[in-house]
Amino acid sequence: MRIVVCICQVPDIASVVTVVDGRIDLSRLSWVMNPYDEYAVEEAVRLKELLPGSEVTVMTATEESGRDLLRKALAMGADRAFELLSSSLEDSFQIASVLSGAIRERYADALPDLVLCGRESFDHQNAAVPAMLAGMLGIAFTGPVTAISASGEIVEFERETESGIECLQAAYPLVVSAEKGLNIPRKTGIRQVMEARKKPIETISVSQPPASLLRLQGVVPVSAEKNCRFAINARELAGLLLRDGCIPKGEE
Amino acid sequence: MGQYYLVYLELRNGAIAKSSIDVWNRFQELAACIDDRMYGFAAGPAAEGAFDVLQGNGTIYHAAGSRSGSASDVAVCAMLEELACRHGVTGIALASTAMGRRLAPLLSGRLRAALLSGCREFGGPDEACSRFIHSGSVIASYMPASAITVFLQGRELVSPDFCAAERPQIEVFDAAPYLDAGIDVLFRPVMHSSQGRDIAEASVIVAGGRGMGSPEAFGLLEELAALFGGSVGASRSAVDEGWRPHGEQIGQTGKRVAPDLYIACGISGALQHLAGIAAARIVVAVNSDPDAPIFGAADYGIVGDVRIVLPELIAAVRDLLTKK
Repeated sequence: MRIVVCICQVPDIASVVTVVDGRIDLSRLSWVMNPYDEYAVEEAVRLKELLPGSEVTVMTATEESGRDLLRKALAMGADRAFELLSSSLEDSFQIASVLSGAIRERYADALPDLVLCGRESFDHQNAAVPAMLAGMLGIAFTGPVTAISASGEIVEFERETESGIECLQAAYPLVVSAEKGLNIPRKTGIRQVMEARKKPIETISVSQPPASLLRLQGVVPVSAEKNCRFAINARELAGLLLRDGCIPKGEE
Repeated sequence: MGQYYLVYLELRNGAIAKSSIDVWNRFQELAACIDDRMYGFAAGPAAEGAFDVLQGNGTIYHAAGSRSGSASDVAVCAMLEELACRHGVTGIALASTAMGRRLAPLLSGRLRAALLSGCREFGGPDEACSRFIHSGSVIASYMPASAITVFLQGRELVSPDFCAAERPQIEVFDAAPYLDAGIDVLFRPVMHSSQGRDIAEASVIVAGGRGMGSPEAFGLLEELAALFGGSVGASRSAVDEGWRPHGEQIGQTGKRVAPDLYIACGISGALQHLAGIAAARIVVAVNSDPDAPIFGAADYGIVGDVRIVLPELIAAVRDLLTKK
């Protein structure tokens, strides 16, 4: 099976995002692989181990170097990587466009069987790229999935809905997004990191991605800090909630 | 020129989902100008009178023949695209349900339409939308720049009160040509289990963390949530302990919620958890540690053991509910 995994890097949750002069200041952040993408890479590598002859290709669309990120995915077991350097990546549409362009180019004869993505990126949290990519590639999408079991011809997966877990079947090709719970990503040791150095990373420069469909107008920092009013007991708290209209009116 | 809106109306067990009705109402309010038009689209079997809950002008297309829900997102997308093209629609709106969250970006990719989601304020498809990014630490505003805008409405927006004497017209939409479209792979539902309300749609959430001490203690949360007609949620540690299913997890790796009232019990308030409740309106914290970070994000707090405070709170709320 030919599998493509699309990954990105995000600021570590512990690092504080600040706004300087009306722009987000990303200069003092530490970056990590988007945690949902780790589930996607792990699942791809497990499928490869299960289905002999499979190949896992990782791709990242990025404005700056994505080589460290790609090396991590290679150390986890991916076979080869593409760094898609784009002059602009302002919205999900541009990111999905760059990824779909690269997939179409690399797989001109036949699309990959499976394209795996994380559910969403931790930074922008739109959860849009995976399905958008499917729309652009003209193939089906499903996600976020909590279980995948695949054979050469068919794939079964589970996903959460409002009414519980849904178990479904689909044929290839397919874009799937990974939810927490899908697997536990493996840790990589020195040996894997050394082996990853021998694996190929190819850089493709995208000088003119299609224009973004969303224009950023401005950013303002938000403080989650609230002024907590401590109630002395549960009765006082219930009274405060009643005052705020949180408790439905008493029945006659 | 007027705005033409198309609202996707999700059918669940033959009835239109409450969140879809909210979207319909919001766009009815937006479509107040004489030149504006409203269209609706629903796929799947509908109960007798299912559309009576919708008020205002407009035309609703109903593809009764297509299988409902999870049958095929691609087919539903193709039908929405056909209606959008037929009527020159400028905005397509969906509720942020599991299905809506799949359809909206799929449509956006196919139509090259800007996608607005998680908006806290919304004036229409040609106005800026502001939303949380970076775990709720920044609000960014975006302006759509495409002929069609796809709008995914979540609970971040307060449901509008919309009333009208008119009723939309219902028309039959023939789904047959779309059901076996070339790329439409078969999604065969194999199993459908459990039930209960999705916490992402709940207006009141009572959530528990490691401080609850045991899975049995969540019974208190169930009891309190029931008084409010709300749902039970959990922190990551409670889910990792195996006390609650992942579907109930709130936070960075779980769901982001936007209830009117959020009651956090025995939850310390790690950054990852706070990222999931940035859009909650009133936050109440019950924790035995007065220095727990959750109090910094709460409107009201009680310092104390949840096993003592919760039964008292349940009794106090019950008193208020039954008071004449």
